[in-house]
Amino acid sequence: MSKVAVVTGASKGIGRAVSERLLSPELKVTTLVVIARQSAEFSQTIVDLREAAGDRVAVIDYALDVGDREETIAVIHDMYARVKRVDILVNNAGYTNPVAIQQVDFADFERTIAVNVYAPFTFVQELLHLGNRFKVIVNIASTAGINGRAGWLTYSASKAALINMSEVMRDELKVDGTRVICLSPGRTATDLRRILAPDEDPTTIMQPEHVAEVIGTMIGPVGRFIDQQNVVVRQ
Amino acid sequence: MISLLLLNGGVGSRFEAGGPKQFVTINGVPILVYALKAADAVASITQIVLNFPNGHEETVRNVVRDYAISTPITYVPAGATRQESGAALLAAATNDLVVIHESARPLVQSRDFETLIASEHANVGFMHEIPFTVAPVDPATHRVTGSLERSRLRNVQLPQKFAAADLRRGYEYAQGADLVYTEDATMCADAGAEVFFIEGSEYNIKVTTPGDMNIASLIVSGRAGGNE
Repeated sequence: MSKVAVVTGASKGIGRAVSERLLSPELKVTTLVVIARQSAEFSQTIVDLREAAGDRVAVIDYALDVGDREETIAVIHDMYARVKRVDILVNNAGYTNPVAIQQVDFADFERTIAVNVYAPFTFVQELLHLGNRFKVIVNIASTAGINGRAGWLTYSASKAALINMSEVMRDELKVDGTRVICLSPGRTATDLRRILAPDEDPTTIMQPEHVAEVIGTMIGPVGRFIDQQNVVVRQ
Repeated sequence: MISLLLLNGGVGSRFEAGGPKQFVTINGVPILVYALKAADAVASITQIVLNFPNGHEETVRNVVRDYAISTPITYVPAGATRQESGAALLAAATNDLVVIHESARPLVQSRDFETLIASEHANVGFMHEIPFTVAPVDPATHRVTGSLERSRLRNVQLPQKFAAADLRRGYEYAQGADLVYTEDATMCADAGAEVFFIEGSEYNIKVTTPGDMNIASLIVSGRAGGNE
């Protein structure tokens, strides 16, 4: 039986760690689709994932900026024609440019919402329109979406939207038997965190692998016994 | 191969929220979608004949498109009565066996359709025990006219399966005798067909009031991850 998992923002950080975790045999994934913007890191991630996957899991990659809605829709259609189904979707791609209210450039706010809110929505809606029935959708939010943080207006607002959107998805997609998991990691040693907190020593905080481990558990058979109402992962 | 006749033409006069009841939502999803999805997952259902209330064809078509229902659908206008609607749906069916259901029963599961289809009987429907006592009365005089044995009575539920020919004879019989039935199992039995029942479920409720909607919503929520 084939099982297809899709991860956005897969080149590094939590996205890369989740992709690695999805290769573990107990999750029974047969095809892993990794999506990220073109970069040397992404190329390396693809090489590493293919090596770890061997013949067991097919790894398909797409270079895509999920902030570009038209491109995103085109990739979703191309991908669905190839893989025929998406069982697990991990909406992980995130963007931030933390500045004070007075310094927010509106185009940048729009990009934040495009990547953090519209992209997860578009992946879900387009795939539903194509007839896909998800088994699990994982939306990666943030503890910054639970409480607004000074200086992080655009990011906090976008993640709050994602948390609430996940609740709606959870209710509406019960008709398909889909589990919708919203995961809000606290401080995690990623590039995005470095933008939010440039002076922090990344070795002192949670690592992407820790978050990926929780996501792996939530996706796996034990996950259905865990309350899925915005799961907070923090050190 | 089976045609599903999906009754979807009621106007829901008992709903306080205006508009046809099949566009009422359960957990944000139009009530009609639940039966469509359950049928869509059954391989032997190769046609869905779906009716729509007067003036609402486009809304129904949009729901089918938005929720990516893949089974071919034949659209039929609703009749003036339940019986007329049933006959019109049947006339558009292309298979010799039909399953009849109504969108106001959103808690139907794919396995319910499969159970009927797998039954050895051509004419068979779900019926459920009655947990209360009913009495025959004369409503005009308020006189109780006798008694009924509860164990020999059943609450008639949907879905039901029929040989298309038997169901057609049932409608002809009702029309000829000038009788109006509110469902087809007893009609076909009166018309002389052999009709059987399978034990139904208390969860397969018909949503006719806002209160029913709340109950249906709770049942659907309790089924997270368990709906096939």
